[in-house]
Amino acid sequence: MIPAFVPLKILRYGFRKKYPAERFIPPAKDLKKSYDVVIIGGGGHALACAYYLAHTHGITNVCVLERGYLAGGNTARNTAIIRSNYLTPEGVRFYEQSLKLYREFSQELDFNILYSERGHFTLAHTDAAVRTSRWRAEVNKQLGVNSELIYPDEIARLCPHLNMSDKVRYPIMGALYHPPGSIARHDAVAWAYARGAAKLGVEIHQQTPVTKILVENGTVKGVETPRGTVYANRVMQAVAGNTSMVAKMAGFRLPIRTIPLQACVSVPLKPFLDQIVVSGSLHVYVSQSSRGELVMGGSTDPYGLYSTRSTLDFKEGLLGHMLELLPMLGEVKVLRQWAGMTDMTPDFSPIMGLTPVKNYYIDSGWGTWGFKATPVCGMTMAHTIANDSPHDLIKPFYLDRFVEYAQVGEKGAASVGH
Amino acid sequence: MNAIAPASHLRRSFIYRLLAASGAEFGEVNGGAVALHYGGSREAELATARRLGLADLSVLPHGGFKGKGTVEWLTAQGLAIGPDSNVAYKQAGGEWAARLAPTEIFLLDSLAGTGALLQRLNAAWQWAAAAPRPAQGYPMPRQDSHAWFMATGAFVPEMFAKICGVDLRREHFAEGAIAQTSVAKMSAIIIRADRPAKDGRVTPAYHVLADIASAEYLWTCLMDAAAEFDGKPVGLRALRDLEA
Amino acid sequence: MKIMNCPLNGPRNISEFVWGGEVKPMPDPAATSDQDWAEWLFLENNEAGIVREWWCHVPTSFWFIAERNTVTDEILKTYPAGDVFKSRVDFAAKAEKQS
Ligand SMILES: Cc1cc2nc3c(=O)[nH]c(=O)nc-3n(C[C@H](O)[C@H](O)[C@H](O)COP(=O)(O)OP(=O)(O)OC[C@H]3O[C@@H](n4cnc5c(N)ncnc54)[C@H](O)[C@@H]3O)c2cc1C
Repeated sequence: MIPAFVPLKILRYGFRKKYPAERFIPPAKDLKKSYDVVIIGGGGHALACAYYLAHTHGITNVCVLERGYLAGGNTARNTAIIRSNYLTPEGVRFYEQSLKLYREFSQELDFNILYSERGHFTLAHTDAAVRTSRWRAEVNKQLGVNSELIYPDEIARLCPHLNMSDKVRYPIMGALYHPPGSIARHDAVAWAYARGAAKLGVEIHQQTPVTKILVENGTVKGVETPRGTVYANRVMQAVAGNTSMVAKMAGFRLPIRTIPLQACVSVPLKPFLDQIVVSGSLHVYVSQSSRGELVMGGSTDPYGLYSTRSTLDFKEGLLGHMLELLPMLGEVKVLRQWAGMTDMTPDFSPIMGLTPVKNYYIDSGWGTWGFKATPVCGMTMAHTIANDSPHDLIKPFYLDRFVEYAQVGEKGAASVGH
Repeated sequence: MNAIAPASHLRRSFIYRLLAASGAEFGEVNGGAVALHYGGSREAELATARRLGLADLSVLPHGGFKGKGTVEWLTAQGLAIGPDSNVAYKQAGGEWAARLAPTEIFLLDSLAGTGALLQRLNAAWQWAAAAPRPAQGYPMPRQDSHAWFMATGAFVPEMFAKICGVDLRREHFAEGAIAQTSVAKMSAIIIRADRPAKDGRVTPAYHVLADIASAEYLWTCLMDAAAEFDGKPVGLRALRDLEA
Repeated sequence: MKIMNCPLNGPRNISEFVWGGEVKPMPDPAATSDQDWAEWLFLENNEAGIVREWWCHVPTSFWFIAERNTVTDEILKTYPAGDVFKSRVDFAAKAEKQS
């Protein structure tokens, strides 16, 4: 039995001024007339960039403009998979740097993001997929990334819940196994960067859409919002599904299509699935969150849309395939569903760095796979803005690669795996 | 007709193993091994065909012609082809000329399966030796590209409602109507070709044509969809009996 | 399921169709610059609003044009490509470089 005085003690503790409830970001102030840097968008990428500008480059006169609420876009809609087992050396190097930052994240920002290493399995159901897995494993190992092609006996040992039967439409023939594959609490990532940036003096303004971008003689001068005009020496956009519309305000077009990506979770179950399991042929991926919910998703919608509606077709297709992998889930109910608008590029790599407008920078084309890149995007974009020159790690992702036919083809590693 | 082993014939269905596993007995039609019946009594199989039966006709002759001038050339060869696309036109010998598009005809032999019409057309078609060549279309071989199934019986529309978005009920899908659509998530052509008996009794019947590489998948899906209505595989004999 | 009206086959489930992207005028491949060609290939208007796009009815391989609203997910109109492209466009083959 709890002694009667304990609740009183807790109450007294609660009312003490010594431990006030923490406010992550200071209450909104008026917008200033001008800033050194204005960042359009208030998702993880934008906030990470603001943090590194202030933290690494000492640029603190920075303003983040978010049209809705912080991390209300894809940052809080993704399925939180983090991995670096990509296909191209350019990609692998970049994502591997992000994983390094993620491992130190909770420590550096003093914020628990529940980073949880699970092991990531990309199942191969065809000879072609086995071949791609081998290819990825070799590229990965060459660059120091832990990644291996494994076969059914080992898959069954590591992941005993999977249906290894060959009496299904797509029997499992092998898997690319990536032990560092992880999940993390996605909104915590954004809040941690927001708090970190705000502590260093960055202003964060929610409910403040950018409605116009001021460009003079090919150089950006500032932005307009319903709360007034804001001038800036440098401007960056990181607006995910709205990338094309915002770039259009700055006066240029991009090789990007906005396509919804849907996801859903099951009711919470006792922990049984440690791993993150992805199947390209079946268009599904699944992991179990720390709350016990199965987090499930697939490939993007069949056509472009600026909408976050959910469809029955998506769930029917996804769950049908899910039952092929994990038949014992037959009676489990879906609890929530949602969608995000993703900015898809033709080569499944991002578009980052300088733009045709001077002093205007872009972090875009993150499609369905940009959560894992949040720290490295912040770091490299901050460098790019501070030096008006792209960071080495993002040079391959320059916009003009499409005109120069120098795409960085990641479809084999990014189309369903995210 | 004597029972034969399908493996002894070069022309046999892609899914002959599935059919054999369901008890099919094969006979020779036009040089190919066709599932003629499935064990039980002739009357019982006919009753199944009236209720819900699935037959594999992939070995029977089917083919086609395509391109500018196709319909004019086929008409000159004596075929009767109407003006509308997505309609199949029945020929004098019981064959069907399915007009998939203004310049594309898919030909299905009658259930006698002699292949006489297709043979005659293929022999008659010649590529003119030199330009200018007349617009007469060109042959579109289909024998090895398309599996050919037939679904018969009162429950066919209900069965298809589970796996196909097009309403195939009699009131909405007339004799000769064609739906080029998706069946069990793969592209397929459905043609309505009822089987009228001498006594006036008409059994609803639908040809199903689809990519032969997925024949086994589609057959399994159709059987699965049919099970709910007690549908079963039937042989060519039962289809012929429907018109007796 | 969402229904799209195919100009050839009538109303069908949207799953029977494949999205082909924006209708944009193709430059003459023999005469255009690499820059313009790349722009035609890759750049998108990606409009939030009413767009005009290519769609294909897969079972018949029939390509046609659809107008739809990308914000409300409404299909406004579908019609055969011939309504827009009245005549055949021929491009001269690029002369081989003589070495
Ligand atoms: C369902 C789903 C699952 C995913 N799963 C994964 C995964 O498992 N792993 C992975 O790595 N990635 C995943 N992703 C991708 C990932 O979520 C995104 O790439 C990433 O979150 C992008 O972050 P961001 O900060 O750039 O964009 P967002 O978080 O979308 O932020 C952009 C912000 O810009 C704001 N904005 C837009 N227009 C304006 C304007 N005019 N003015 C001001 N603000 C504006 C928006 O309101 C929004 O808050 C997934 C995405 C989705 C939708």
